Amino acid sequence: MVQISTKQAGALTLERRRDGQIWATLGDAESPVRVHRCFPWSEPGRFLSLRDADNEEFALVESLESLDGETRAVLEGAVAEAGFVLEVTRITEVDEEVEIRTWKVETRQGARSFQTKLDDWPTGVPGGGIVIRDVAGDLYHVSDPRSMDERSRKWLWAFVD
Amino acid sequence: MNQSNETIDTEIVKRYTDQPASMPGEVRTAIEGAWGGRPVQLYALVDLDAGLRLCEAWLALGPTDVAIARKRDGAWSVDSFRRDRLDGVREAPGLSGSTLTFLGEPDEPALAIVRYTHRQRRAVENIRFVLEQELEGRTVPEADPDHEYAASVAAPIREAQALVAGNPSAVLWRLLGYLKRYRAQVVIGFVAATLITAVSLVPPFLAGIIIDDVVRPVQDGVITSAEGAAVAWLAVGAMAVVYLVRQASALVRLRYMAILGEWVARDLRNELYEHLQRLSLGFYSRKKTGSLITRVSSDTDRLWDFLAFGVVDVSLSAVMLLGLSGVLLYLDWRLGLVMVLPVPFFCWAIWKHGEHMNQFFIRAWRKWSGMTDVLSDTIPGMRVVKAFNQEERETGRFIERNVDVTDEFNRIHDSWTTFWPILMLAVHGTTVALWAFAMPRLLGTNGTGPSLTAGTFVQFLLYTTMFIGPIEIIGQMARTVQRATTSAHRVFEVLDTEPEIVDATEPRRLEPVEGRIVFEDVSFGYDGVRQVLRGVSFTVEPGEMIGLVGPSGGGKTTVTNLIARFYDVTAGRVLVDGVDVRDLETGHYRRQIGIVLQEPYLFHGSVTDNIRYGHPDATPEEVIEAARAANAHDFIVKLPQGYDTVVGERGQNLSGGERQRISIARAILHDPRILILDEATSAVDTETERKIQEAMDRLVAGRTVFAIAHRLSTLHKASRLFVMKDGRLAEAGTHEELLAKEDGIYTTLHSLQMELQVGGSDAVDTTH
Repeated sequence: MVQISTKQAGALTLERRRDGQIWATLGDAESPVRVHRCFPWSEPGRFLSLRDADNEEFALVESLESLDGETRAVLEGAVAEAGFVLEVTRITEVDEEVEIRTWKVETRQGARSFQTKLDDWPTGVPGGGIVIRDVAGDLYHVSDPRSMDERSRKWLWAFVD
Repeated sequence: MNQSNETIDTEIVKRYTDQPASMPGEVRTAIEGAWGGRPVQLYALVDLDAGLRLCEAWLALGPTDVAIARKRDGAWSVDSFRRDRLDGVREAPGLSGSTLTFLGEPDEPALAIVRYTHRQRRAVENIRFVLEQELEGRTVPEADPDHEYAASVAAPIREAQALVAGNPSAVLWRLLGYLKRYRAQVVIGFVAATLITAVSLVPPFLAGIIIDDVVRPVQDGVITSAEGAAVAWLAVGAMAVVYLVRQASALVRLRYMAILGEWVARDLRNELYEHLQRLSLGFYSRKKTGSLITRVSSDTDRLWDFLAFGVVDVSLSAVMLLGLSGVLLYLDWRLGLVMVLPVPFFCWAIWKHGEHMNQFFIRAWRKWSGMTDVLSDTIPGMRVVKAFNQEERETGRFIERNVDVTDEFNRIHDSWTTFWPILMLAVHGTTVALWAFAMPRLLGTNGTGPSLTAGTFVQFLLYTTMFIGPIEIIGQMARTVQRATTSAHRVFEVLDTEPEIVDATEPRRLEPVEGRIVFEDVSFGYDGVRQVLRGVSFTVEPGEMIGLVGPSGGGKTTVTNLIARFYDVTAGRVLVDGVDVRDLETGHYRRQIGIVLQEPYLFHGSVTDNIRYGHPDATPEEVIEAARAANAHDFIVKLPQGYDTVVGERGQNLSGGERQRISIARAILHDPRILILDEATSAVDTETERKIQEAMDRLVAGRTVFAIAHRLSTLHKASRLFVMKDGRLAEAGTHEELLAKEDGIYTTLHSLQMELQVGGSDAVDTTH
């Protein structure tokens, strides 16, 4: 494993090849990689672990800013994909029934309903806002509960401080 | 999975998600059209587009092709590629979405890329699994695509919730059905409660009559004092009778309904526990122990409360309100309306307040969880807290959360302490309105002369005080019923689960069991498509000891689960002495099987009770003999209360090795023909291991044994070793035969462990 600091960043190149994969080259070594963010909420653009096909670390990029050109653009795209969560813009209903709570929300990606267990609570995230995890494991991020419309805030009131 | 489960899955997808419950007909037609009529074998919704926006696209697998159907300009367009062009499938999982890339030949463009949220992941993984198996030259049996899709999407919701497809009113009726067998008691209870309601209306009525027909006529000289006294004493007597009847009825009602509720709760608990014992292990792997315990204890208790008091209270409060309204309107319809009209509003206000408070309670519950989280984090982890000197920080964390909880509960108190006085003010407001309407008519100042008697007025005043109780109960009815249906749902879910392992109509008994075990091309999966065992075949002769070795997840435990018939095979057969295990009487067969687990489970009870668990009639001599053979006698005798020492969760603390030896003694006494040892000697020190090993050697003698072990040294007595890898029997033979294979899996495992032993850490598990 190689840790890519700002100085060494020039040695690493990333490109999206025809086979649909991102290929990382570092010296003589090259491998198709995918990105795993070490701190998805607190340091989303830093400490990016590039994993090879066997899920072993190929390199650890300290910061996106240490890269330039195509490599950076490719990595930014991959980071966005790896860090994808549904961004909630409005809450239309929260309903409780036997053992589960159903949320109807509008997200930047489209409308969606999902379920959480009654005793699963939204959690605060370092970058701000709260995250709700549904029973399937999907994450719903409310970046600023206070700036939502009144009705959404009313639904959220019991779940945020 | 049976028909009803399939229907439930489809219902869940329809009710809880925004996606179709199956692939739309037009999509299927479009895909099958593109494939020249070949059928869709598996499919999944891929719900993210290239820009990571939610969309509806379908990934489908056919006998020779893979297709992705996307909507373009209102019509379904299908992109398809042949399965034989596929070189690999790569999944890149993200926080909330994954990307699956279908790789073509090296340096060729990807065949397809799809993106989807976690909700679709199980369904997509089914497809990926089949394709990866194909790349490895294996085939996967065909499954019903609609069923697999609905089951995959519904699974997380099913796991989180009890009997989701249940209809609340049907559940309530079913619950009330349990009262049927106690019909006489129910009738008596209801009659008594009706009597209480009816006689409660009498005292105010009598008071009015006394005033109008006795007091005033006597004071006005219309009748004599003696005549008045005669009627008055009659009324006093009547009042006494009324209260006697009322309290006698109360006694009957309380006692009958309380007892009746207990009977129903007892019936439910018995039925539940009996059913739990019949359920297969598959059920227990899906449900948490805590949740099952709650169902038998707290849920049935809550149902007792509802049946004993809730049902009667709610129905009689309704009767009481109707009765009161009727009487008031009968006595004086105008004053009656003043009192009766606001009643629905009061009920509504209480209900609304309950709904409003619900938000407060959710918040308080969340804060409460936050506080108890600190407790459950730190109390078991106190050694770590102290070792890192974090007492102060933890105390600070607790105080902060405790203050939060207090603030939240005080908010609740603020709310209800405001609501109820205001509500009471409104109720008293109606009383004031009553006075205001009554006065002119009472005094005759409205120009028509007195049109209301003092008696009627007093009756009204007394009746108004009786409105409050029933209004409160009716207002809270929704919550009472909701709590009861929730508990009933949870109880009925267990009762409605069918055991997966059922005996054949005419099961056979093997007497005696010889212990010849044959696996004939056995395949098995705990869920739909994914197979844990694939085409495993072997024959084990009676008295052989087989060591099962290999990496974790290779299928070792599954082999033993199938031998014990905790699960049924999905393909192939497991034969015991030539008979399919599915044709055997399960209870009788399992009595011939002994199991010693890595973490032996001791029940709450004495050492003796635990040793003779499978053989309750064993004599003390037999118990001691078994304990001696298990190398347990010595340490048991050293315990202060010897064999009578209480062990188990709340009993004497025994070390892992001691518990293990008691469980071996239990297995020795049980005297099984077939013995399963699941990593029975891991995680103990060398001396203990030696003692356990000795005990084990005595235990295995003369039986067919399957021993799972990570440390190969514990298998020195094994007649043969089976190496399980990726659900297949990869290697089989004696220790020497397997070591002779230079690149064999066993050879590698063995040399790794030898190296570690030389390094002096022989207790390290090398196969993970």
